[in-house]
Amino acid sequence: MIRFDAVSKNYPNGTTAVDELSLELAEGGLTVLVGPSGCGKTTTLRMVNRMVEPTAGTVSLRGQDIREVNAPELRRGIGYVIQHAGLFPHRTILDNIATVPLLLGWSRKKARARAAELLELVGLPSEMAKRYPNQLSGGQQQRVGVARALGADPPVLLMDEPFSAVDPIVRAELQAEFIRLQKELHKTIVFVTHDIDEAIKLGDKIAVFRTGGKLAQFDTPERLLADPADDFVADFVGHDRGIRRLSFVNAADVPLRDGPVLAATSPVASARTGDEPWVLVVDDGRRPLGWAAVADLPESGTLADVPLAPLGHTFSLVGDSARAALDSALLSPARLAVGVDAHGAVVGVADAHELSAGTGGTADATRADGGKR
Amino acid sequence: MNDFLNQIRLVGDWLTSSKQWHGDDGIPHRLLEHLTYSGLSLLFAAVIGLTLGLLVGHTGRGAFAVASVANLARAVPTFGLVVLVVTLAGLSTTPVLVALVALAVPPILINTFEGVRGVDPATRDAARGVGMTEWEVLARVEVPMALPLILLGLRVAAIQVVATATVAAYPGLGGLGRFIVDGLSRNDYELVIGGSTVVVVLALVVQVAFTALRRAVVSPGLRVSPSKS
Repeated sequence: MIRFDAVSKNYPNGTTAVDELSLELAEGGLTVLVGPSGCGKTTTLRMVNRMVEPTAGTVSLRGQDIREVNAPELRRGIGYVIQHAGLFPHRTILDNIATVPLLLGWSRKKARARAAELLELVGLPSEMAKRYPNQLSGGQQQRVGVARALGADPPVLLMDEPFSAVDPIVRAELQAEFIRLQKELHKTIVFVTHDIDEAIKLGDKIAVFRTGGKLAQFDTPERLLADPADDFVADFVGHDRGIRRLSFVNAADVPLRDGPVLAATSPVASARTGDEPWVLVVDDGRRPLGWAAVADLPESGTLADVPLAPLGHTFSLVGDSARAALDSALLSPARLAVGVDAHGAVVGVADAHELSAGTGGTADATRADGGKR
Repeated sequence: MNDFLNQIRLVGDWLTSSKQWHGDDGIPHRLLEHLTYSGLSLLFAAVIGLTLGLLVGHTGRGAFAVASVANLARAVPTFGLVVLVVTLAGLSTTPVLVALVALAVPPILINTFEGVRGVDPATRDAARGVGMTEWEVLARVEVPMALPLILLGLRVAAIQVVATATVAAYPGLGGLGRFIVDGLSRNDYELVIGGSTVVVVLALVVQVAFTALRRAVVSPGLRVSPSKS
């Protein structure tokens, strides 16, 4: 665990990069430091491996003041990933990854065997081992950067905007793989980004910094979206935080009703008994078949004979978030989200209003935004 | 035209006549003298130029001083320096060496300094960040990355020294310059051109040697052109 105790960093020219920061980062968790440029997030990260020395306060790692450890030795025990990967262009990919093991005095053979393992772990083909960094794309270089940081299997990883320099598609790919990797490795990670979406996607906890090196809020992504500490944080997380918050609400918590759900064997007349403009037609296993507009129904017969509008897409009560439910509502011809269980059987439907009322997300966002304008 | 061909034939005769290949006045002995002066000067210059260049390039301290001193040194005429040092120190090997070292230090110093300073700050930051000591940053990252420029500096210095070591003949210290100086004073142009030819060939050999050295020691990663895999 990493602990900042009233840590400040002032420069001789009078600027304050970090101002009296006290923060405790949990073991095995991914903490994101986020904020606008000049907010001291990178300085904070670099104080953990003594790339920057604080002017006041102490930083400790697992209870030990890091100033008690010689800097190069400390750094060999902490993985370090930077924005443009910072690979050594004169070394092969394999030797880049083997850097820290070699510094620690491993034999060349053992270090390279370890490097080959890591190459595979970050999803790069083994043919890349003998190539040089400038023969790789930006995304591939960044993977090598992560592999190099994992070289000696350090318990702590520091990542400074590791995915900022690649295009959005590659970034999404790297983020997804990184999440998978972290599930496997359970490292204590400090991750710096200026991108709040990335912070929310990756972080177990998020520290929002404001310009001048002050900590504005330290919370889980859910709490940050639901209850920003002040206008600065609310502004920084964005006006669409209400919708984004739905990502953290389990679809199982969405209130559903099954009024407009009818079996295909039902007579047409039964669809007219409610005041719903659309009914969802299901088969005998309650699997959804499609939507029928009540106004267009024939005089008689069963719903099985009626031409149906396509379903759109359903959301699953097991695994999906309320955001997927909202998506399902907006894309359906009936403007109703269809919730299904693990077997694909319809549990019920809800419209966008019911979804937001049930989860409190959008209502909350409306209030906060309204207050500011 | 005939005159020119005639000259070439005469020089050819001079180069191949057996008397040029024996004794204290022969090409091998003069070549050895020449190589000794050049080699020693280059060695001293490399020790000074590399040490200072690496130190200043790595720390960034004294960059301005290095550039100034190097430019100043480049402006000093070698021949003048030899005369000056001979006048002050007397006729011996030292003045020649001092002049040649003074000539060779600037290209080595400047290129080494530029090579080390030119290393991408992100790469240097990564080197420290993964736990390299300052010495390891220099030896494992900065020097290998600066190697193309370091070798360029050494090559320029070596060729200049080899070409300029001919001045050693003026204070009577031998070397290949002997042929040229003697030839000029005796109006013996075969001797002048023959001696010059040997110097030119020597400079070419140095050039080729450095090209081979570069191939052998510079990482392919610094040579390959960027390409998507």
